[in-house]
Amino acid sequence: MVEGSLGNWRLARQSTAGSATIRSQRLGQICVTGALLGPVLIFLATCFIAPLGELLSLSFSSSAGPLASYREIAASGVYRQVFTNTLILAFNVALIACLLAYPTAYMLSRLRGFALSVALWCVLFPLWISVLVRTFAWILLLGENGPVNRILMSGDLISRPISFLFNSTGVYIGMVHVLLPYALLPIYTAMRNVDQPLLLASDGLGASPFQTFARIYLPLTMPGVAAGFLLVFLLALGFYITPAMLGGMKNMTVAMLIDLFVTEQLVWPLAAAGAFWLLLLVLLLLLVASRFVNLTATVAAR
Amino acid sequence: MLTRRRILQLLGASSAAGILGSPRGFAQGRPFTFCSFGGALSATEKAAFMDPAGAKFGAQIANVSPTNYAKIKAMVEAKAVEWDLVDVGGQFIYQGSEQGLLEKMDFSIIDTKHMNKAWITDYGVFTSTGATVIAYNTDKFPEGKAPTSWKDFWNVKDFPGPRSLYSRFYYNYEAALMAAGVARDQIYPATDEKVKLAFDKLREIKPHVKVWWTAGAQPVQLLSTGEVTMASAWSGRVLDVIKDKAPVTLTYKDAIAWGNAFIVPKGTPYRELAMKVINYAITEAAQEALLPLGTYGPVLASAAEKATPEQAKLYVSHPSNFKDSCIFSDEQVAKYVTKYEDEWKKFQLA
Repeated sequence: MVEGSLGNWRLARQSTAGSATIRSQRLGQICVTGALLGPVLIFLATCFIAPLGELLSLSFSSSAGPLASYREIAASGVYRQVFTNTLILAFNVALIACLLAYPTAYMLSRLRGFALSVALWCVLFPLWISVLVRTFAWILLLGENGPVNRILMSGDLISRPISFLFNSTGVYIGMVHVLLPYALLPIYTAMRNVDQPLLLASDGLGASPFQTFARIYLPLTMPGVAAGFLLVFLLALGFYITPAMLGGMKNMTVAMLIDLFVTEQLVWPLAAAGAFWLLLLVLLLLLVASRFVNLTATVAAR
Repeated sequence: MLTRRRILQLLGASSAAGILGSPRGFAQGRPFTFCSFGGALSATEKAAFMDPAGAKFGAQIANVSPTNYAKIKAMVEAKAVEWDLVDVGGQFIYQGSEQGLLEKMDFSIIDTKHMNKAWITDYGVFTSTGATVIAYNTDKFPEGKAPTSWKDFWNVKDFPGPRSLYSRFYYNYEAALMAAGVARDQIYPATDEKVKLAFDKLREIKPHVKVWWTAGAQPVQLLSTGEVTMASAWSGRVLDVIKDKAPVTLTYKDAIAWGNAFIVPKGTPYRELAMKVINYAITEAAQEALLPLGTYGPVLASAAEKATPEQAKLYVSHPSNFKDSCIFSDEQVAKYVTKYEDEWKKFQLA
């Protein structure tokens, strides 16, 4: 109370000293904020916004008119199917990754000390190995004569080798594996931040373990799940190497289509338009999603 | 101890060394650069063409891979050409010159008097030959039971097992027509009826095609692990794994013969040297140097004839193989690929 009034008194003194001081203080604040944000703003402007603008102008540069490339993609049943396939694939991968990540993250959140370090290492280590190498490893593991099929055959579980590769199965295995850590880490962080006494309180008030989970634990960790889901979904939308290597011809994704436009057909306006259609679709999806989930809180979830 | 300061010092030192110690005589501060598709082809071209040409012209030649048409387009359009000579598939001569990406061949430097004119175009010169062939796993199809035509490739009853074909329409168009019984010299021009026939034939084999390959290394890898039993493949890649004793081999019967073309991206600072290297590559000496390497064959008939009987078996351009092959028309391919691209994608996704 005393301090507060003292502060007010000081402020009053300052204001009588002249608005010039306040203005210079504010200017100083803006300078500090500018200096702190400046580097990242310059980086984003030169390395992200400028190229994006260039890409946008490229997408309008078709010789058949500015919107011709956009129309060509929207009008073609083949391209629409590729977009639908990509969205479904990304959604399913995100769902599977979250389902697998949830129990794993729970186990991680229970660990302490050395065991935790080892477990976290196991989660993070694959992130430091090239996606290409990991995808190629799956080709070796899942082949007709690969170790997985050989183990299954020797155990008389199957009579003939299962085709894991060059179909949707291969794509899902590969993509979930590569993207799992991105779902796991936000969920783990959310679980670590759950106030433990709340669970004890729930228990103490006579709730069954299932009730505690469903009504306390799950809602509290849901922002982490949503963040993980979103992260994996967005990354999966742009995935290229894994579906290209492990998938069949039917598993063409938007990224593969764009690659075809860029490297084989050399029709860059079409490639740029494809990229912006995807961006537009994602923004629309996020807009719809934001009506149900608080996205800002999700992404900023700690 | 590697501290941040130490790293900064090292960085400073290395950049200073870069300025002071860079060898003179490099335009753009980089050596003459040749780009090709990698694998057996790059190794062959380095040994037969680039190393001797470098020694002859007193130039350092950097060999890089893989060829990427989008990169060529980007380099030329950004006026920052980093590849001075590039090995491309023949269709790119047409695709690239149409988009204004290529230097015209300088026939005051390149002497083509001794060459078959089929291997020379205004924007590119073919320097070696290869083929898209039927390759197969020798454990599955031993001698006497081996496929010898695209008809056999389509015959999954007598030649069982999964197949692999290329992921684009070309090669498949030619193969499908041969499987349908079209004579090898009747494949072109690609009319609407022939294209329809090719698609019908491809729909027939599609359920058995496990992998539609995109990179040259794929079909031979899939064949050697037994993932597929028969595939279309680039001849040089197959010959390369035969040397490694992989259970894979090829037949030149019904081969789709093509050339590896050299082109010069527009705006290279080494235009003249690039033309000289092309000229060197089609000399008798350079073409004969291909023979002992055993991957891709010469374009010069006079050089091909010098092959030993053992070597002759390896090259599609040798008369004994050439008579059984269909000659791939890059000009036709450039046309039909553009025209039927949508159709092909529909076929892929169906």
